[in-house]
Amino acid sequence: MVDWLIRFHFDNYPRLLKHPKNHIFRIPLLLLVLCSASPVQSEQLPIESLLQRSYLDDYYSNVVYGYRIVTETEKYGARYTGNNLRCTNCHLDAGRKQNALPLNVAGMYPKWRSKNGRRNGIGLRIRECFVYSLNGIMPPEDAPEVMAVAAYISYLSHGEIIGKAPAGRGVPTLPDTGYDPNPASGKAIYDQMCAACHGADGQGIPGIPPLWGMDAYNEGAGMARVHRAAGFIWANMPLGQERTLSHQQALDVAAYINMQIRPGDPREYKLLKLFETVSWFFDR
Amino acid sequence: MALNLLTDITPWRPSHSPGLSIRSELFAALIGAILVIPQGITFAYLAGLPPEYGIYTAIFVTLFASLFGTSSMLGGPNTAVAILIGVAVAPFAGRGSPLYIEYVLLLSFMVGLIQLTIWLLRGGRFFMYLSPAAITGITTGVGFILILSSLDGIFGLSSSDTHFFYHKLYFLFDDAESLINPFSFTIGATTVIAGMIARHYKTRYVILIAITAGYLYGLVLMAYYSQVEMELELLGHLPINPLPVSHPPMGTDYLITGLAMLPDALIIALIGLAQSMVIVKQLRNDTDQPIQPDKEVFAQGIANLLAPFFSSFAGSGSFNRTQVNQSLHAETPLTGIVSAGIVLVLILLLGPVLTYLPMPAISGTLMLVGIGMIKTDEIKRLFNWRGELAVFATTLFCILFLGLQTGLVVALVLSVLLFVISASSLELIAERESVSVRIRVEGHLFYASIDQLSQILKEHRHESVVLDLSVVTYLDLSATEAITKELANRDQESTFFAVKLSSKRLQNQFEIKMAGQPVQFIQHNQV
Repeated sequence: MVDWLIRFHFDNYPRLLKHPKNHIFRIPLLLLVLCSASPVQSEQLPIESLLQRSYLDDYYSNVVYGYRIVTETEKYGARYTGNNLRCTNCHLDAGRKQNALPLNVAGMYPKWRSKNGRRNGIGLRIRECFVYSLNGIMPPEDAPEVMAVAAYISYLSHGEIIGKAPAGRGVPTLPDTGYDPNPASGKAIYDQMCAACHGADGQGIPGIPPLWGMDAYNEGAGMARVHRAAGFIWANMPLGQERTLSHQQALDVAAYINMQIRPGDPREYKLLKLFETVSWFFDR
Repeated sequence: MALNLLTDITPWRPSHSPGLSIRSELFAALIGAILVIPQGITFAYLAGLPPEYGIYTAIFVTLFASLFGTSSMLGGPNTAVAILIGVAVAPFAGRGSPLYIEYVLLLSFMVGLIQLTIWLLRGGRFFMYLSPAAITGITTGVGFILILSSLDGIFGLSSSDTHFFYHKLYFLFDDAESLINPFSFTIGATTVIAGMIARHYKTRYVILIAITAGYLYGLVLMAYYSQVEMELELLGHLPINPLPVSHPPMGTDYLITGLAMLPDALIIALIGLAQSMVIVKQLRNDTDQPIQPDKEVFAQGIANLLAPFFSSFAGSGSFNRTQVNQSLHAETPLTGIVSAGIVLVLILLLGPVLTYLPMPAISGTLMLVGIGMIKTDEIKRLFNWRGELAVFATTLFCILFLGLQTGLVVALVLSVLLFVISASSLELIAERESVSVRIRVEGHLFYASIDQLSQILKEHRHESVVLDLSVVTYLDLSATEAITKELANRDQESTFFAVKLSSKRLQNQFEIKMAGQPVQFIQHNQV
C-alpha cells in the first residue's frame, strides 16, 4: 500500500509539475503515509528461519543451497570435491566468524590476484576453492554449486561497504618473530595440543577435519602456506581456547603440518587426480 | 480389477511371449544401459538437476515402465520432458538447489497422477490423432533444441540468457575469439566427428564410440594441460546410492507451487504420453508383440508416479533407444527390466572413471542425438502434401520461436484440425443413369459436411435422384434434417427420390426420422 502510493505519486511526477492543482490534494496523503511508515530498512532474514521455509524465491533458495554446501560439503557439493573436508572446517561457523576466513567478502571482488595472475570474480574464487582446498575438480562458472555459494556469500556480505575490507577479514598476519618456523618444536606442540582431536597421524575424526594425508587440502591451497596457516591457527585453534598459543608456536605447528605429505598441486601434476581416483577404486 | 492387473503385468513371462529369446533380450538390455547413461546425465542437465538424478531416472523409470508395460519400448529420461521440467520449475527456485529438487519431485508426482487419470478415462486413444507430420515437426524441433543446447557445452560457453536461437549464434560468431574455449571445442568436435564416421559403419554403437573418442582425447589433453588451465568442464563425482529413497514434498506450503505448476504438469503429462503412444503405435505396426496401448498409458503413469519416491524425475518412452532395441530383436519388457539393473552395476563400476569425462564429449553425443532426430527423408516425403507440410512447418516454427510448450499445443490443435477437415470433406460423384441421377456419397455425413450434399441436391432439384449412401457409415441428425428440407423444395410430381443405405440398422434409423416424407428406399443388398 505504502509502496503503491509512493510509486503512484512519483510516477506521475512530470504531470504533477504541469497540473499542480489536480495533484496537490495527494501531497498531504503522501506525507501522512511517509510519516506513518517507519524508515525503510530491509532486514536480512536469519539463515535459521530460511532453512525452515518451504517457499523461497530464486535468491533465497540459492542462499539456503549455498549454506548447505558450506556446512555439508561432502553431501551437497560432492560432485566437484575430492576429499572429505567441508568449507566450514576453515570458514568457521559457516563463514560468519571473524579472523577465521569469514565469507562476507562479496564487496572485495572482482580484484586482481597474484595466484592466477588475472582479474578474479567471486565465481572464480569459489571455483578455485573446489580445486585446491577441497582437492576436487574445477566446476564450470555456471555450475549451480558455484551460483549457490556466490548467493550465500553475497547474503553474508549484506551491509558491508563495497571495496572496504570487512572487520576481521581473512586471518590475522602474524608479526615477524625473528625466528624461522621450526617443524621439530611444531611436532611437540602438535602432539600436546592438537593430536587429541586431529589425531597423532593428522587424519582427524568424524567432525574434525584431517590435516594431512590424501584426504586433506592439496599443495595449491592457501592453507598450505605456512604464514597463512599460522595466522589461522593462532586466531582460532585450539577450538575454544583461541589465541592461547604464542605467535612462534603457531608458526611451528603450521610448518609441521605443511611439511607432511598431501595431494599435489593440480597445476603441476596433471593426470595425478585420475590415477589417485582409479587407484583408490582398486584399493577399495 | 486389481487381480486382473496383477495377472497381466508380466507379459514377459515365456507363456505370454512364445518368441522370447533370452540372449538377444539380454544383449539389447546391455546396449540400452550403455546408451542411457550419457543421455541420463545430459537430460538431468537439461532439467536443471545434478547428474545422478538422471541416472536414477534411467534406472527406476525404465524399470517401472517396463515392469507394468506390455512392449519392448524403453522408457526413462526423455529430451522434451526434461526440457519442459527445467522450464516449469526454474521460476520457483535456483537450479539444482534442494528446494528445486523437491519441486521437480512434486512436478513428477503430479505428472504421474495426471497420466493415471488419463488412463482411467481411457484417454490413450486420443493420442492417435497426433498426425505423423506434427510428430515429425516435434522431433525436428526437439532435435534443433538439442543441437543448440549442445553448443553451450561444445564451445565452453556459460549458459547465457538468450531468447532465440539466432541470438546465441550471433553471440557465438560475433565474439568467437573470447567466448570459445579451444579445449572444449576440440573435444566436442572429436566426439561429433567420431560419431559421424561411426554412423556409416556401426550404427548401433554410435554414441558409445563417439563418447569414448571424446574421453580419450580429453585424457590426452589432460596429460599436457591442467584442468584449471584449460577451464575444461568435467562431469564430476556421481554420488550414486543404490536405493535413493525420497518422497515428493507434502503439505499446504507446497500446494501453492503445485497449483502454479499445474499447467506445466498437464503439458508434460500429455507430451510424455504422446511420445510413448507414437512409439507404441510404431511397434504395433512393425512387430507382433502383444501390445495393449491402455496398459502402456498405465505403465507410464505409474512409473512417473513412483519416480519421485526414488529420486527420479518424470520420463517417457525413448525413440532412439527403442529403435536400437528393435534393431537388436528385443521383443519383451524383460529388456527394460534387465537394462535398469545393468545401468546400476555399470555406474557403480564406472563411477571413478566417469568423473573425468569431459562435458564437451557429453554435449557432442547430445548433438549426435539431435542430428539423428532430424530425419531429412521423412521431411522430404512431407513435401508431397500441402496440408501435412503446413502442419510440420507451423509446429517447427512455433517450437523454435515460441517455445516447446506452445509448439506442442499448436501441433496437437493442428493435427486435430487437419483430421476434422479431412473427415468433413465429402466425395460426391453424380452419374447420369437412364431415368435418374445417381449421387454417390463417400465420407461421413454430419453437420460439418452436410453443406456440400445440400448444394448438389439443389442442382438436381428437377430430376429424379438416387442418393447412394451405401459407403456412408455415419449419419447424424443434421444430415437427415438437411435432406428433409431439400425434399420440401423438390418438384414432387414428375420425379422421385430414392435413398440407398449401407445397412439395415442405418435404414431403420433413417426411416424413423424420415416418416411421412416422399422417400423410396433401395435395399442395401440390391444394386
